[in-house]
Amino acid sequence: MTAAVLTPVDIGHARYVALIDPGTAFWALVDKTQVADTLAGGPLLDAYREKAGDFSRELHALRFELKPSAVYVNPTERCNLDCTYCYLPGKMRRDGSHMPEDKLLAALDKLRRYFATVMPEGRRPRIIFHGSEPLLNRHAVFAAIEAFGDDFVFGLQTNGTLLDRSAIEFLTAREVSIGLSLDGPEAAITDSTRHTWSGRSVHARVLKAMDALRGYDAWSVITTCTTENLTHLTRMVELFHAREVPTCMLNTVRCTLPGARGVKPADPDMARAFIAALDRSHELYRETGRKLVVANFANILLAILAPSARRLMCDISPCGGGRAFFALAADGDLYPCSEFIGLPRFRGGNLFESDVEAMLRSDGFRLVTGRDVDTFPPCRDCTIRHFCGSPCPAEAHEMNGGMDRTGAFCGFYEEQVRYAFRLIADGIANDYLWDGWDDGTDTVFNYALR
Amino acid sequence: MQKTKPGQHQQTATAATKAPVPIIAMRKSCNPEGVGLSHYVLMDRKKTK
Repeated sequence: MTAAVLTPVDIGHARYVALIDPGTAFWALVDKTQVADTLAGGPLLDAYREKAGDFSRELHALRFELKPSAVYVNPTERCNLDCTYCYLPGKMRRDGSHMPEDKLLAALDKLRRYFATVMPEGRRPRIIFHGSEPLLNRHAVFAAIEAFGDDFVFGLQTNGTLLDRSAIEFLTAREVSIGLSLDGPEAAITDSTRHTWSGRSVHARVLKAMDALRGYDAWSVITTCTTENLTHLTRMVELFHAREVPTCMLNTVRCTLPGARGVKPADPDMARAFIAALDRSHELYRETGRKLVVANFANILLAILAPSARRLMCDISPCGGGRAFFALAADGDLYPCSEFIGLPRFRGGNLFESDVEAMLRSDGFRLVTGRDVDTFPPCRDCTIRHFCGSPCPAEAHEMNGGMDRTGAFCGFYEEQVRYAFRLIADGIANDYLWDGWDDGTDTVFNYALR
Repeated sequence: MQKTKPGQHQQTATAATKAPVPIIAMRKSCNPEGVGLSHYVLMDRKKTK
């Protein structure tokens, strides 16, 4: 039997308070009038004590025992855009090189052989072409998808400006997941952070790509939330829903490089705008019966409801970088995550010269995989540390001065967790999640059924 | 332990229309497959099979 310590947390709900065991990410929502009695002992604590060991082992496995199953591949250093907040160095994006097609094919062949040694039978690893702008090296990317279609599940994150009809036909015919980016409901807002090197707008071209993807089930759009678009997030949700975007992300700007910090919203402003956008997405769902899932928030809900069902591996500690996935730069160098490309200290080695397992154990990777919220203040004393994971290590290191520091949006994550618990208390959490999100999951604790 | 199967989707916790209960506590578990990050979200969990 394991000792269970439940900490009360005010979630801002009229009826319920959350009781959380931070060490196992177990929670219960308890009527405010019964908190003292519940903490004194009784059926809930007895039931939890029976399970606490299992939950602790589950969380440990999720945090420390995963093997990589995906690679974010940058097939080029170049980008045709110069976004304000990009985490990749400007010189690399402007003057960099493509990975030649033969090198890309050789890289995927080596990765295929590596994954054969670590992936469970019957499960394919993922390759996500990522940027800079991968479609600047379209010929090589498409050749790789054609050559390795049986070996990997493919994804492509693109700014959408080069996603023409023939590219969409190629990608959708091969069930490639496609991610786009759009920052505003109108051009003037998008243009304030996303534009070409000469300052030209790309808003209309992204909308055209979105229209062409309508009806495809595996696409999404990312909005990077900054001071420039924060007051328009509700309109973004309306635009995405009207255009039948299945999934979006309303991400806080990553503050790894100084350029991004100039458009960083304050936590309370971010929380207010984000929650208003979530509320609007729910209204639209109730009005139309069609969901627009805001995936980065859905992931917080999953972290609470089913920790091992997370799809995003930023909001967990250690994060997924260097252990659930890693990134391959266009010159063959390996990094824990795309966020670290351009930061030499985190380079693990070169795919064409070194063994993958050895690179995963390199000092650069261990800096990231060793970042554990249980070990540094204030996170180690935070009740919700295993719901948020204190993202992102790149921000902590570059913006806040070390891996033992918080990320850029501590207060925002606290508000998200409170909001998520209020939805659970009101019985509407599923409205914010993908249909069938829990297919294949086991219900390992359900107090209401006892 | 209850397995949730396709087509048997359950509303999480207590539906708003039902009488409130004094305590809500639940947890689900599965084999972890998450590999997404803030720059990319997976849309096709089933396609890895």
